[in-house]
Amino acid sequence: MNKVDKIASIDASSADWERNYDKMIGQDRVVKNRSGIEIKPLYWPENDTDGTYEEKLGFPGADPMTRGIYPTMHRGRTWSQRQLIGLGRPVDFNERIKSILKSGSSALSIIPCNSVYRGIDCDEVEPEILGTCGTILNTVEDMDISLKDIPLDEISIGLNDPNPFTMLVQMLIVAENRGISWDKITGTSNQSDYISHFVANHMFYRLSLSGSRRVQMDAVEYLAEHVPNWNALSIVGQHMQQAGGTPAQAMGLTLSTAIQFGNDCIERGMDPEKFLERFTFFFDISISFFEEVAKFRAGRRIWNNLVVERFGVSNPRAKRFKFHAQTSGLDLTRQQPLNNIARVTAQAMAGIFGGLQSMHTDGYDEVLSTPTPESAKIAISTQNILKHEAHLCDVVDPLGGSYYVESLTDTMEEEILKVIAQIDEQGGMYKAVEKGFVQEMLGASALEFQDQIDNGEQLIVGVNAYQEEEDASARPVLKRPTAEHMQAQVDRLKEVKAARDPEALAKGLQDLRDAARSEDINVFAAEIDAVRAGATLGEIVKVLREELGFGQPLVVA
Amino acid sequence: MLVQVDEPEKPALAIRLIDGEIAALARAISVIERDTPNAIGILRAIRPHLGQAVVVGFTGPPGAGKSTLVNAFVAEMRKRGKTIGVVAVDPSSPISGGAVLGDRIRMAEHTMDDGVFIRSLASRGALGGLSAAAAQVADLMDAAGRDVVVLETVGAGQSEVEMASIADVRIVISAPGLGDDVQAIKAGILEVADILVVNKADQPLANRTKRQLEAMLALRAPTQHKVPVLSTDAIERQGISELADAIEATAARNEKRSDRSALAGRTRHLLAQAVSQAAETHTLQSQSDAIEAIILAVQEAQISLSDAARQVLNTIHKELND
Amino acid sequence: MSLTATIPARVLVTKIGLDGHDRGSRIIAAYLRDAGMEVIYTNPWQKIEAVVTLALEEDVDVIGISSLATDHLLVPKLMIALAKAGLGHVRVVVGGIVPDQDEADLLAAGVSMVFHPGAVRDDIVSAVEKFAVAATNDRPQD
Repeated sequence: MNKVDKIASIDASSADWERNYDKMIGQDRVVKNRSGIEIKPLYWPENDTDGTYEEKLGFPGADPMTRGIYPTMHRGRTWSQRQLIGLGRPVDFNERIKSILKSGSSALSIIPCNSVYRGIDCDEVEPEILGTCGTILNTVEDMDISLKDIPLDEISIGLNDPNPFTMLVQMLIVAENRGISWDKITGTSNQSDYISHFVANHMFYRLSLSGSRRVQMDAVEYLAEHVPNWNALSIVGQHMQQAGGTPAQAMGLTLSTAIQFGNDCIERGMDPEKFLERFTFFFDISISFFEEVAKFRAGRRIWNNLVVERFGVSNPRAKRFKFHAQTSGLDLTRQQPLNNIARVTAQAMAGIFGGLQSMHTDGYDEVLSTPTPESAKIAISTQNILKHEAHLCDVVDPLGGSYYVESLTDTMEEEILKVIAQIDEQGGMYKAVEKGFVQEMLGASALEFQDQIDNGEQLIVGVNAYQEEEDASARPVLKRPTAEHMQAQVDRLKEVKAARDPEALAKGLQDLRDAARSEDINVFAAEIDAVRAGATLGEIVKVLREELGFGQPLVVA
Repeated sequence: MLVQVDEPEKPALAIRLIDGEIAALARAISVIERDTPNAIGILRAIRPHLGQAVVVGFTGPPGAGKSTLVNAFVAEMRKRGKTIGVVAVDPSSPISGGAVLGDRIRMAEHTMDDGVFIRSLASRGALGGLSAAAAQVADLMDAAGRDVVVLETVGAGQSEVEMASIADVRIVISAPGLGDDVQAIKAGILEVADILVVNKADQPLANRTKRQLEAMLALRAPTQHKVPVLSTDAIERQGISELADAIEATAARNEKRSDRSALAGRTRHLLAQAVSQAAETHTLQSQSDAIEAIILAVQEAQISLSDAARQVLNTIHKELND
Repeated sequence: MSLTATIPARVLVTKIGLDGHDRGSRIIAAYLRDAGMEVIYTNPWQKIEAVVTLALEEDVDVIGISSLATDHLLVPKLMIALAKAGLGHVRVVVGGIVPDQDEADLLAAGVSMVFHPGAVRDDIVSAVEKFAVAATNDRPQD
């Protein structure tokens, strides 16, 4: 049978199937995924006029990268298990890190206390809310204790460290004090994307929009030279999706942000062939399984093409869409929490099939509180089971070629490109968020999704379907840091502050102020000197807020 | 100062309000908004204390940066030692009657300043977007001793015109890039604006918008005073001091809203609004045969709408007297 | 629905403490608006004193606190401050992530209700309506 005959034969058979399907299905329903794309009941090879295998899929590690950024992907090196860890006292955190590393995790991700996110030292926080969600990291000593016996030159560290990146500064000084040269430090500034904080996760938003841009660019420049293996820029799609963006919107907005940052770097005189190598992304993985797989594959393909079109790069390493992903806590329920283990499994699988480079899986008690050690262990075991027992790593891009997945990758690509075009029309991501355009988009999608749940169009087991009476006392009891421990932390901070050389400190902070006021002095470099002179997180953020503006997010009602 | 007349005992709430108590002002505003029976007593009690405040009205289309500008203006007036009352009006949903009042978001810096009292109001079905209560709330703030009362509303319907009868100084804000810039300034606004502001001066087309407005003003018949077109950048706080100067100059020049003739005109206007609202409510809700008959007659094109309206008023008059 | 046929309930929707997520509060504001209520919506990170001032100036019937992380642990302080300011009639509800072990404490401190993830729109709306009516009945007479 030649090709034309083969196609004609499929067309005839598919017509048969459609007829039989219609007869059997009775009242069919329209199915749309979260991005609004209509999903058919079946996909099959149709006349493909859109491009050849090489053009649309290609091979892993080659244009257009749809199937993966490396030839080997997870068969060669599985994704990094980068579990988030954060506990009240640095010493507790250190203990937890060691236990996580023992159970197979290969990379770290540090979560500071919410007060740190807000840029406040522990001696100025209401004691009830101190240290309950993450580690207190106000000083170099705090960071040193947190990372005791951890080989900084061997482990990749993800820092959940927003502008002006004091955690990174503290860590670099710890490394310096330990005699580790900075070119051995690897990892990522996970929360360097101030645009996503302005729009969505406001807790991380400390300095004004223009101030954040200034410090971010100074940091990127400084790190490119002095900490060359550090990923200074992580563009965060997670916040957009968690604020309500559909998967296509989240990807489109994230890529638009990356374009904005790319342009900002070029304006600074940096070479895209070099700086794009250090761009990484951070995404949410929802439980809309196939949609997420298609989202990542489409995103990877779009990025590959976009960096050539917009930045003219040819360095293959500059075209790689490297991303970390976290299973989405928003899909998890408070009701019947053990079900969340199944949910996280499905989400993790979608991330794996989407080709991520590093992953965090949520604990099943995520919606109840900060995860317990037991639930954190199950979250890691989930990844190991998928790897070793389900053999999900044996084949590169195993879903590639699926008629559904390829069709959906194409339609997701269309939707994503539409969002990017809308942002282009607004003058780029920075301008779009200044105007509130993005905030409106996310809010509308959030309401739409909530409507689907409220109307029963989207069923959630245990919430609006299959509900059961539950015994509240069976839910895990949270351990919180004790008041004495937190008081000790506050006392220690006071001691550390009192022991500083006041002149050196004053000079360090004044130099930081001068740097912020000048256009030519690198603020991040000045920050390092100020922290060397003993400045705390709160002191640094205070000065920068005064000079560069307090970060007031554009809240849209 | 108005003539002292023998009056019934003042409500305690009014006394405390006049004394400057913040809680009393807040509760009195609620009384007025809810139109409870003791509202009239409060309005009577505050009459001798009106006329101190300068009422400044800000209106403009969504996206012009109105709230940010008001916030900057409030900060400037505080620097000049004035106390402020802000009435921020947002539209009620015509479907549900509810509203999300978000103007305070841009004014967060003033929350803990006792010298700034902010109240968010919903338009509650008022056609133009300014509820009848808004004028009375401005009066309460005046009587409470606020030097400046800011009235902020979205430029929808006839709100600019309504604003005209309530405010001493009328500001209309626009910004470049809001679609057709000049279209955003509707016909009739130029007649009532004392000051035009082009916000977002940092944007490339701001100068063009300013020139277009100046050109439009030049086409009007010359009035006693030239209407200035000012440029501001509310976020960077530029042009704000000039705006405050222009407002103070206008206030000194304009007839105060509490002066007799202005007050009479304004009261007539507010009464007309209240009458039409009462007639509207009655017509919508009435189930009387008389009104049903009139509705049918209009449907069948037996009488014109304007004749029918007169008949309805007649009917209402009869029904009210029964 | 409103307090009477013509007077909408006034609800302050705000956040205290450190968290900054506002997806939940935006959705709640939309629910309440669609049910005919007036929602005063603010930015996050309000201090306790600021919430009291807001409740006072806006003369609200109900305060809705949206809380993630452990910010709800500050609510008992808010209850005390409200009472001290003569706002004891104002009902307070908390929505978000609240562990069971803390819910009892909040209710004991005077919070009217705690809403957890998965709470149904109609339940939230009818509860807030009920609390608004109760608040009105308890207002000091003017």
